[in-house]
Amino acid sequence: MEGDNPAQRAIALLRRRLCNPNYIFSLLSDSPDSNYSKLKFIISNSVTETCNNSILLLGPRGCGKIAVLELVLKDLQVEHPDMISVVRLNGLLHSDDTCALKEIARQLCLEHQLLFSKMASSDDNAQFMIAMLRECGLAHKTIIIVLDEFDLFTQGKQRLLYSLLDAMQSVTSQAVVIGVSCRLDADQLLEKRVRSRFSHRKLLFLPPSNRDVQRLLEDILLLPTDSKFPNDYVTEFNARLHNILGDQQFIEILTTLSNTDPSVNYLLRFIFQAVCYMDLETGFLSLENFKNAISSIQRQPKIESLQDCSVLELYILVCMRRQEVKEQTSYNFNSVMKEYKSIHDSFQTSDYYAHNVCLRAFEHLLQRELICFTDNRVHSQSVEFRPVKLLISAQELHQGLKLNCSCPVILQKLMDRES
Amino acid sequence: MGKEGTPQITKRTTRSSSSTADSSNAIATKTVNAPRPPSIISDLTFGEEPMSLDALLSSFPGRRLQVLELLQLIGPLNSPMFPLFIYGGASTGKSSVVLQVFKHLNRPFVYSSCRTCYSPRILFESMLNQLLLHRRNAGNGYSSMKRCERPADFVNFLREALTDVVNNLKEPIKKASSKELLKPGHGRMIYLIFDHLELIQEWDKSSGIILLLFNLFDILKMSEVGLIFISNVSPDAYYSNTGHVEPIPVYFPDYTEDNLCQIFMRNQANPKLFSSFLDVVLRPFCRMTRRVDELSAAFPLLFKKYCEPLSDLGLAPTEDMKRKLFSHLQPHIAPSLNEIFRVQYESRVDVKAKEKVRRKGNIRKLGIEDALDEIDFHMSISAKYLLISAFLASRNPATLDAALFDSMGGSDNRKRKRKASQTSMEKKENTENELLMRGPGTFPLERLLAIFQCLTSVGEGSLEEGQREDGGVMAEDGDVGLMSDVLLQLSTLCNANFIMKGGTCPLEGSTRYRSTVSEEMALKVARSLRFPLSKYLYRR
Repeated sequence: MEGDNPAQRAIALLRRRLCNPNYIFSLLSDSPDSNYSKLKFIISNSVTETCNNSILLLGPRGCGKIAVLELVLKDLQVEHPDMISVVRLNGLLHSDDTCALKEIARQLCLEHQLLFSKMASSDDNAQFMIAMLRECGLAHKTIIIVLDEFDLFTQGKQRLLYSLLDAMQSVTSQAVVIGVSCRLDADQLLEKRVRSRFSHRKLLFLPPSNRDVQRLLEDILLLPTDSKFPNDYVTEFNARLHNILGDQQFIEILTTLSNTDPSVNYLLRFIFQAVCYMDLETGFLSLENFKNAISSIQRQPKIESLQDCSVLELYILVCMRRQEVKEQTSYNFNSVMKEYKSIHDSFQTSDYYAHNVCLRAFEHLLQRELICFTDNRVHSQSVEFRPVKLLISAQELHQGLKLNCSCPVILQKLMDRES
Repeated sequence: MGKEGTPQITKRTTRSSSSTADSSNAIATKTVNAPRPPSIISDLTFGEEPMSLDALLSSFPGRRLQVLELLQLIGPLNSPMFPLFIYGGASTGKSSVVLQVFKHLNRPFVYSSCRTCYSPRILFESMLNQLLLHRRNAGNGYSSMKRCERPADFVNFLREALTDVVNNLKEPIKKASSKELLKPGHGRMIYLIFDHLELIQEWDKSSGIILLLFNLFDILKMSEVGLIFISNVSPDAYYSNTGHVEPIPVYFPDYTEDNLCQIFMRNQANPKLFSSFLDVVLRPFCRMTRRVDELSAAFPLLFKKYCEPLSDLGLAPTEDMKRKLFSHLQPHIAPSLNEIFRVQYESRVDVKAKEKVRRKGNIRKLGIEDALDEIDFHMSISAKYLLISAFLASRNPATLDAALFDSMGGSDNRKRKRKASQTSMEKKENTENELLMRGPGTFPLERLLAIFQCLTSVGEGSLEEGQREDGGVMAEDGDVGLMSDVLLQLSTLCNANFIMKGGTCPLEGSTRYRSTVSEEMALKVARSLRFPLSKYLYRR
């Protein structure tokens, strides 16, 4: 059902690998001091020794906190069947207490084949949760509650966290609360009564080291030799890949990449793009693919939209810049128009348009988010009178003017004069 | 004349597929005779013959690179993908390219535009309805399949619906039944497309929905789901405190002049004639805007002008003729440059509607600009006076009212005041800037009525100059009847957005008004009344 072309199958295989976080992070978690082993040790301890526990997984976005946790949970469910039930909440969805309680009840019902009532009040749900915790504790079954985006649960009264952690203080219950957050100060956000009930175990997830990255690249991109691919294709593919990975230019690309964002996810997206750009005719990855990928992943949207601007829009931008240079504290469309007129008067440009045409160009700039209003009162005034500001720096404007091929010389001169 | 070529056609498919897919409607009519369970494949794909790659590329001049990149990123059959983020200025063909790409690929997708789905609930429900093959009609009271307001419910329902759909998609491959296998496969992937993402920021101030959508891929953890976001603004507009893993950006730049030329040349009856027309017109217009939607509104009229001297439109123009036509058109170019943004009344309705949406908050302002050209609309004399007095009340400082409108008439006072304000140039400039910044001032109702009374007396005095030198007396008896009408007129003017109702004054507690009329328009109105407005205008 997939193409007969080995190149196409190779792409499909690589894409499947890249989009599967479990695969990626299982590559990184074989060493004994990895987060995977630590986390597994902690959780399996509390499962086997029937105790309560709470852990925070902290680290920047895209470093595999959830992926590693999922790996651990999957393995534990295999090792201790019927002893674990997992409840997953996400701060983006369930930061509201009633909503969270409802979701916990729903997932518990689903897990234990109970009938879930949509009409149950939040009080009912809270009682149900506590009863379930007790029942499961009596049955020596551990409930693992995963709170993704943990910092969002700490907004508001923290009633959910309190009732959860408070229920875990009793001997009968048996639960593990795992908070996942990209805020390193997540535990400082807790109220005192909650913090005192929280065991301060923290696991820090860091971006991979250079050696890990190198290993990851090889593991992801090399094709397996024992598979259905033709043998000579695989050897050729892998040989070329080793060449690329050793190339000085490629290492430079990797450095620029990790300078912007060292996380695994960013790296994956970069590789994904490179794989997508692979030429199906030749069927091999080339250095060119990686170069294209880095240029398309590291974009400069402001410069791009400056290049898209029409001449009139550039005029308005330059006029606004001149207003800023004049140290006008605030200015609006009308004062920009005055400046525009004065430029026209002194240089006799051919681009002098009527007021309403300029107004429309001005609105285009607003749409492009190159400028914005400084006040947020929406309906207080008509557009002309609302104060505005530039959202680009002088350097960006300068660069944009240079790159825009239709930019009139006079505008560049005006900008040069200032700097 | 079909100036717009593809953009017109593709736009229409964009719109129709957004409103629960017209392909599915076609299927619905087909299935009336022999009812069968709706099939996922026919409902979520375009359902017609897939488009060839060449046709796809040729229908989007200037978008070749973007189409190819999209195809590469979406990838071959059954290959998972990271979320995509497609961005670029307005009318650069983002939505239509994406939809046509799916027509070419013939894979199931769900499209929701945040323009038609203007609140989280509607957005969620529209997605779910399409996934669950639910169509709102009179039979079910136009209700949605699932009622879902919270993001939490949405994710649960979405996961259920998606697993259903994905399982259904897998089936025909296993079963190897009937026609499904003969056709090129649809794959097991289902794609969710969110259009006009930038609008979410307007209705969702806390930015929870945006974060949810960007994190949807990680939340769902389903590799069979491809997410595509389409937005007018660049990804850096979506940065937030908590951050999110960024989707892969795909940029659609604005069309270049050559691209525009190709676009406008499509479906032309007489390409030679039109290309000579474009040679003349495109360059000056491109200096102002390169947006297809705006240009295509302006060109038809100009082309009509251009063709006026020709008797036979089928002729290929010679050099000599071109020159003649050019000299005929030239005087019209400059004025039309300044008129480009006027909405043509005979133009298609949807263009007009689109323009209106574009202008959104600014509609008030532009509405007035439009009205300026057709000022001869029927407005009663007193409404005109009211307009002028509102204008004066907004522009002139309240302290000068007495001086301007006292029985002696304004002229002497004005001169005196002017002299006093000319003490230093700098001060004048400052106040001028201040005026530019502040815009029209606000005024209470009482002041407006007082000025109105003075004006009507003077105005009528000047109309019948011979008899009434002392207008004050006349005003008193003439306006008693008017007063109740005036309030009505005022509310009419408010509704027409000539006068804005501002906030209430914190001290007095009464409503304050503000005139939004531009000076040109006020002068025009005054001229129609033969009222000496400039005499009453205080200039700093």
